[in-house]
Amino acid sequence: MAKKKSAQESATPIFVDEDEIAAPEDDQTFKDLNEKLAKIRKNRGVIGYILRNTTSATIDLKEPEKIVEYAIFSSQVLDSSQEISDLLETGDVENVLIEGKENKVLCMKIDGNKISIFMEKDADDADIQKQISP
Amino acid sequence: MENEVYAFALKNTLTEIQNACPDVTSNFIFKDGKIIAKNKNTEQETATQTIEAFDAIAERADPIGDLESITIQSTEGKVNIAAMEDFYLTTVSSKEADEKYVNTLTRILIPIVIKLSEKIQPAALDKETITTEPEPEPEEDDAYEPPEENFDLNENNETEEMDQPEEEEPAMPEPEPAEEPEQYEPEIDDEPLLPDPPVTQLIVENLGGLLVPSDTVRVDQEVIARWNELFGDNKIKEVEVEALNGKTTRCKFKNIKKSKDTGKGIVKMPEKIQLTLETQQGELVTIKPIIE
Repeated sequence: MAKKKSAQESATPIFVDEDEIAAPEDDQTFKDLNEKLAKIRKNRGVIGYILRNTTSATIDLKEPEKIVEYAIFSSQVLDSSQEISDLLETGDVENVLIEGKENKVLCMKIDGNKISIFMEKDADDADIQKQISP
Repeated sequence: MENEVYAFALKNTLTEIQNACPDVTSNFIFKDGKIIAKNKNTEQETATQTIEAFDAIAERADPIGDLESITIQSTEGKVNIAAMEDFYLTTVSSKEADEKYVNTLTRILIPIVIKLSEKIQPAALDKETITTEPEPEPEEDDAYEPPEENFDLNENNETEEMDQPEEEEPAMPEPEPAEEPEQYEPEIDDEPLLPDPPVTQLIVENLGGLLVPSDTVRVDQEVIARWNELFGDNKIKEVEVEALNGKTTRCKFKNIKKSKDTGKGIVKMPEKIQLTLETQQGELVTIKPIIE
């Protein structure tokens, strides 16, 4: 078990790698997504992101003190969205856009990786979605 | 009872949305965790569980502020839950649905209907005792009747019958249909339910003369007759008059004496009342009976 901190721009990114053996090198998708997200993070209006799969997680948020809050929310969104989708028989969730009064979040599932990108209300979520999609 | 106004209006709106856009497979509206209206394709249980799942997200939505909308794009369709006034509209559509069209339709229609329903029942909002969706109705899918017609309040005591569109006769409010009386039982009070006092718009005309009482307006006999029909034995001794500027006053009333003035949509008003209301001859006022 190792925990690293990587220094990405002005924010306080935290790289949590729970299993070095099954690390991102084994998971090319995770690695690719990580790179894409690091780029997206520079877009205007993007507050931060959470990327996780069963073994690893990358979190880069402007407000590191709220990481837990963001992580719980992000997890809840994907779980409850799938529940709603099952109930309403619309199949597997591909992406979820949630808009709040202050910010919005785009959550996606790509090859078992769960992504949540937090952004300001006027950020271009459609463009971000294009950038992250395979 | 108040929510029945919403339920009726919104249910018809949901049906019409689906008619206008067949790609919408299911839709329902909820507020404070309770279903207000749903279309016929939506199962009660499904809607209830969806609301629970939605609430789970909403409870943790602090990072983004109060939740305004959720759009779930899935492999076989889309789900959108959007806040509208105090309500949440859930729309389920196929993947092929024109999202812009559906959004335009729903985000214009639903708020309008909600606002109209509020106007019909202005007192309703604070007293939420939601009764869930309307009774299972015959699958009549009747054409949506815009609630505007209810503004013709001279004609209808519309509020009490909202849940029974098949019975359109304006009549004194009945308890709910016999087959499910228990659902509405709490609303059958010992006092008979009365319709809201109808508001009538009339044009001011001067009323003068030596023997004219300064605290009495003269109202069209037809209007008074309609009040009497609606409220039967309940005595109406006074009316409330409201000018366009929002000023109101209570005063006594009598019917217009001259037959040539009846049916013209006028209210004869002494100068003193006109001064109180800051209105004058030729201007519009609304008038409604005060039921005792």
